[in-house]
Amino acid sequence: MRLYISSDMEGVAGVCAWQQVDARTPHPEYEIYRRYYTQEVAAAIEGARAGGAAGVLVNDSHGPMRNLLFEELPADVRVIFGNRKPFSMVQGADGGFGGAFFIGYHGAAGDADAVLCHTYTPSIIYDVRVNGIRCSEATLNAGLLGFYGVPLLLATGDRTTVEGIAEQMPWVRGVAVKESIGNFAADSMMPAAAQRAIRREAEVAIAGAADAKLFCFEPPITLDVQLVTAAQAHLVATIPSFERTGSRSVRFVHDSYPVVFKAFVATWRLAAMSS
Amino acid sequence: MNIYISCDMEGTAGLCSWKQCDPSDLHEYPIFRSNMTREVRAAIDGAREGGARRILVNDSHWSMRNLQLDELPADDDVRVISGAPKPWSMTQGLDAAIDAVFFTGYHAKAGDAATLAHTYSDDVYRVSVNGTPCSEALLNAALAGSYGVPVVLITGDRTIVEESVAAMPWAVGVAVKDAIGFSAVNSLTPQAAREAIRAGAREAMARIAQAKPFVFDAPFELTIETANVEQADFIELIPGFTRTGGRAVRFTSGDYPKLFAAFLAATRIAAAANTIG
Repeated sequence: MRLYISSDMEGVAGVCAWQQVDARTPHPEYEIYRRYYTQEVAAAIEGARAGGAAGVLVNDSHGPMRNLLFEELPADVRVIFGNRKPFSMVQGADGGFGGAFFIGYHGAAGDADAVLCHTYTPSIIYDVRVNGIRCSEATLNAGLLGFYGVPLLLATGDRTTVEGIAEQMPWVRGVAVKESIGNFAADSMMPAAAQRAIRREAEVAIAGAADAKLFCFEPPITLDVQLVTAAQAHLVATIPSFERTGSRSVRFVHDSYPVVFKAFVATWRLAAMSS
Repeated sequence: MNIYISCDMEGTAGLCSWKQCDPSDLHEYPIFRSNMTREVRAAIDGAREGGARRILVNDSHWSMRNLQLDELPADDDVRVISGAPKPWSMTQGLDAAIDAVFFTGYHAKAGDAATLAHTYSDDVYRVSVNGTPCSEALLNAALAGSYGVPVVLITGDRTIVEESVAAMPWAVGVAVKDAIGFSAVNSLTPQAAREAIRAGAREAMARIAQAKPFVFDAPFELTIETANVEQADFIELIPGFTRTGGRAVRFTSGDYPKLFAAFLAATRIAAAANTIG
């Protein structure tokens, strides 16, 4: 069974501050947490292999998306690097995978007790709904996996995030590597313990893949995005076929989820130009 | 008569450098800002002499807050649109209630050997509608045309003026300068340019009755060639755009305003690609 892994960084054990995950502004802590991040991904791969997975694609999905220390990963996996991907955190998900893992994921913009919660871009996205369902990155990304027939099998991150995913996708196994205390503090497992837990659950998740379901949005698909500022919505509403639904909100409707997903990426790419 | 003036700056008499039309420049910009304002004033004066009453001026350059408002006629029938971004950019406020359009201070399209030639953005290498390479003047004229409104005056350098008059033979062209490549000109003096613009505007008013809206034939096909690959990567995210090459995208529609809006959205998202990821 081929496995797809989308790996983020905020949900790695111990992480509780932007400085630890900010690759753009060099901070000594980033290098430490970058290693823990790589080790959690490696643990997921090891567990998946023990459970029978073969053929692993890892999509580095955090920030500039070139964080993984890939010499520390098994030599026969493939890795997608770089952040300008039309499908961003789920680029390459259409490659015929039997299942997917979300490693190091975090809560949605507005979640209480979810470390560093946000949805794609903290200063731009206030809230996202698809067909009325409040979406985290995991929800949005799982929808694209579902479109391609790939079930989500495992999610790791803080407890709020993992439980939020289990509510929307009860078949997904979770590893809560930390309890969030607000958005910038955590009560965490030690890195080695988190990695052991991830390895164990990855193995179980692969073994149980047959029972997993697909998470799909039914067409017509309505994307509702609430922006942080009216200026952002003003700019995004200039995209043809976007509708301005409020001073800080826009809507886009389409039958194809990949088109909706790319429109969402266009939303925050363009909104970034508003200031 | 309701006249709409979309005023750009690069085609102002004498202007031959980005510094002269860059609002952050403290030395040359204030001079040319004043010259731009006075050329717009000349166009308004000529329009009024030709029978215009209401004038809507859309400041269409860079930050779009260049005009010195107290240099314009102080009556209730003159209004100015300032600031950016505006959904319709250089054509904001243009609708079927307008009788005719003036383009002042316009410049040649990207790729022309002419003064500060570009088309909306330096990210645009070439933009075409139905296979015709377009200047800002032509793109904007077609938007006016889609509302049934003709362009009757265009002022700027000789390259853009001659090309526009060839496409819209009913329009009056006032070439205030001849381009010598990208950043040198052989120009009228500001006073002479204003006199020519004023006379041209007066004549343009007399041509409104015979003028035609400029339109492309539907369905419309927009092709944009970008300067670099990363800009096409971003434009491709916009619903309706098809990637046709490393630096090329296409958008089709039966509705020209929608096509025009797609072009503007493309230029805006392309700008986001110019940062280091």
